[in-house]
Amino acid sequence: MTGMVSNPFSTRHTRPGSIAPLDATGRPVDLDVLLDRLHGFGGTAAIVGPHGSGKSTLLTHLAPRLERDGRRAPRIRLHSSADIPAAWSAIHRAAPGDTVCIDSWECTGRLVGGLLRILARVTGRHLLVTSHHRVGFPELVQCTTSPALLRAIVGGLPKHGVWLGKVIHAEDIDQAFANHGGNLRESLYELYDRFEAAASPIQCVGGDGSIDHAGPTSIHRKIHESADGFSYVGAPERNLG
Amino acid sequence: MTTATDRVPSKPKIEVQFDRPHRQHEPRDTLAVRYRIEGCDGERICAIEHSVLWYTEGKGEEDLGVHFFQRVTDRAMMPPATTAGAFSTPLPQSPLSYEGVIVKVRWCVRVRLFFDGSRDFVSEHVFNLGHIPPARMPSARA
Amino acid sequence: MRLPRFYAKKRGHRRTVSREWGVVGDGLFHGALLVAGMCFGGLLVSGVAAPEWRINHEFRETTGTILAKGLAKTTVADPPATVITNWRPCLLVRYSANGVMHESWSHSTTATNTSDREVALRRLSDWALGTEVVCWYDPASPTMVVLQRGYNWWLWLLSFLLPGALVLIGGTGLVRVIRAWGKSEEHRAASAGISELLDPLAQPALAAPGYPAVPICDDLVNSPGTVLRYRLPIESPESWTLVGFGLFALLWNAVVVVLAVGAGLDLLGGRIDWWLFALLVPFLGVGIGGITLFIRSLVFATAVGPTQLEISDHPLLPGGRYDVLLAQGGTGTFQTLTLSLELEEQATFRQGTDTRTEQLVVWRQQVACVHDVSAATDSRFEARAVVDVPNIAMHSFTSAHNAVRWRLVVRGTPERWPEFCRTFPVVVFPVGVDLPESTSRSLVVHRRTPSQEVTQ
Repeated sequence: MTGMVSNPFSTRHTRPGSIAPLDATGRPVDLDVLLDRLHGFGGTAAIVGPHGSGKSTLLTHLAPRLERDGRRAPRIRLHSSADIPAAWSAIHRAAPGDTVCIDSWECTGRLVGGLLRILARVTGRHLLVTSHHRVGFPELVQCTTSPALLRAIVGGLPKHGVWLGKVIHAEDIDQAFANHGGNLRESLYELYDRFEAAASPIQCVGGDGSIDHAGPTSIHRKIHESADGFSYVGAPERNLG
Repeated sequence: MTTATDRVPSKPKIEVQFDRPHRQHEPRDTLAVRYRIEGCDGERICAIEHSVLWYTEGKGEEDLGVHFFQRVTDRAMMPPATTAGAFSTPLPQSPLSYEGVIVKVRWCVRVRLFFDGSRDFVSEHVFNLGHIPPARMPSARA
Repeated sequence: MRLPRFYAKKRGHRRTVSREWGVVGDGLFHGALLVAGMCFGGLLVSGVAAPEWRINHEFRETTGTILAKGLAKTTVADPPATVITNWRPCLLVRYSANGVMHESWSHSTTATNTSDREVALRRLSDWALGTEVVCWYDPASPTMVVLQRGYNWWLWLLSFLLPGALVLIGGTGLVRVIRAWGKSEEHRAASAGISELLDPLAQPALAAPGYPAVPICDDLVNSPGTVLRYRLPIESPESWTLVGFGLFALLWNAVVVVLAVGAGLDLLGGRIDWWLFALLVPFLGVGIGGITLFIRSLVFATAVGPTQLEISDHPLLPGGRYDVLLAQGGTGTFQTLTLSLELEEQATFRQGTDTRTEQLVVWRQQVACVHDVSAATDSRFEARAVVDVPNIAMHSFTSAHNAVRWRLVVRGTPERWPEFCRTFPVVVFPVGVDLPESTSRSLVVHRRTPSQEVTQ
């Protein structure tokens, strides 16, 4: 396989911020429309959707656009209720008019979340949050997934011209989507495994053989050699690839 | 008359040359790198950073380990005074480059240009450290 | 030096889009927390903790006579328009200090203050006029006398805990801001030193000195073997699982007992609390299940017995050959007992509330396989084998979210019990490493098959 690349489904290429936000049909989301809608809600709203539906991706792309409007949009990701002090701190440190972007708002719980919301409202900060279910915020967008969306995401991954249709096929994408009930993140993980299995047919470690039947020779996959990119305001930490 | 803030930003290109064929290095070797910067179109560079680092790729969060770091702020060592540069460093004994299945360890050289106005451009070039052959996907999952 | 622009002008609109000023604001915020913590801590220490310490260490003991009793009244406006009155019992004491007689009202800690006058009066009744008491006076100011000493530990905790938290948060945040100021990603990573303290969640396992990203193996070589050099520790020993089951069964059934006693007393009193009975039934079911699980685990642990693995040398090197000794205790018969060398990759990804950890064994080689093993209560089954590490094997690797780990795995299939799997982690160093002289590698070659080496 000439021109083979590293696995395009690795987290480097699929984490939030690396993929452009797309709607359920696979078309790019018009961020300006969403921003207008957010302003119509007074600046505070929620992005709602099930696991792996692209909420964090959308939030990551909206945040820099909010900063373009002359305000700051600090971002914070919550993993558990232990991160609540960090959420409070982020709201407290923001200036009036700023929009604090909080991923996984449901970690705050109903009571504490309500208090944080009051704090933000009283001090003039806005909140843009993601959640798996309704949390009492105006709903900016309901993220849904579809096979077309997953195909569009896969079609936007690095060097898809080399491997799409040769290593990963449309049936693989649809099957991954069906296997995981529409969870895009899990689907991409499965496609990662499929790519690895297809890209390394028979290889062995150490040449000593293993309990599974190892082949006689190894095929070195060609890793990507170089990548260039700008690091712009609001860019994810690494914008390469 | 155009001013710096109205100028269309340039699209730089950095060519990197390694001193070893196929970019294959061994532990404790000295890595020597030369690079050339093109396409700055007279844009002012205020600093250049050289780094040699490893990072992980795969299904987990990316981790990073910087082995060598150098920041150059001497104007005589950057465009427009000169468009070439070089740096070298002895390589460590670990971690070795590894093409695993869900965890991969890659070594790379990065040259980062800092322009006026908080804009920066980074060029990353992967090389191999060691001769660890790729791991294979277990047959049950293929 | 040019200051970062506070605002940028674009298409006629002024805006505040400055990461630098954002970082300055962050630094000011944490600096303010740090200063507040230090001031608060200083006030608490000087106002509360230090005086209490002086009373307990520097005041001199003497005897005094109680001449009079009284209540000291203090009023506090808290909040404004609300007045709180505090009462403090006081005693007028005559005592001798440095040969001079003094008469002073006693001082006390804030713990004796109360807003209830009756309570304060009751405290006064503990003291009788004319009685002689032990008291302590301040040698620097002999008119100050106390009748009680000791520590209010909660005040000490408050003096250090709250200000300490502010100082810690403010200090670490400020240091993080200073270290990250104007730095690229590589520069921040290269400056890692105390960054591990600033972000403990991201701290990877300790690396072996001189071998970045290779885990240390000190914990794996601190237990000598009985036959070979080292005994390898087991990963996540089942004893912890057994303790966990036991604790759960104990605590849960304690709750069940309390509920049952309550229900029983109600029943004896002629009352039936249906809600309590409804709650008791599922609780009892879970409690019985917990006990069953614990007993089953205990019996299993006893029947299968411990597994021990000894190795001739550690850490391992690619291309190296090592003796291992497998010892299995327990009673009964094992249909099979296998020992394998495995290479496992582990990757962790956190997204929102989801933490996804995936593990994958990418290489496995069977080292030994024994069939129909019988162990006795007074002796254990032993088998010797040889482990060959592949010539160009990937070394052990660990970082904050990813790992490549080598391990020796013992799998057994006992009769009448489910299969068990016990893992013994090992560390493989990079190829070409020269280990210190003290870590000599064993080059003993065993050609016999494991089944011929069974010893009992």
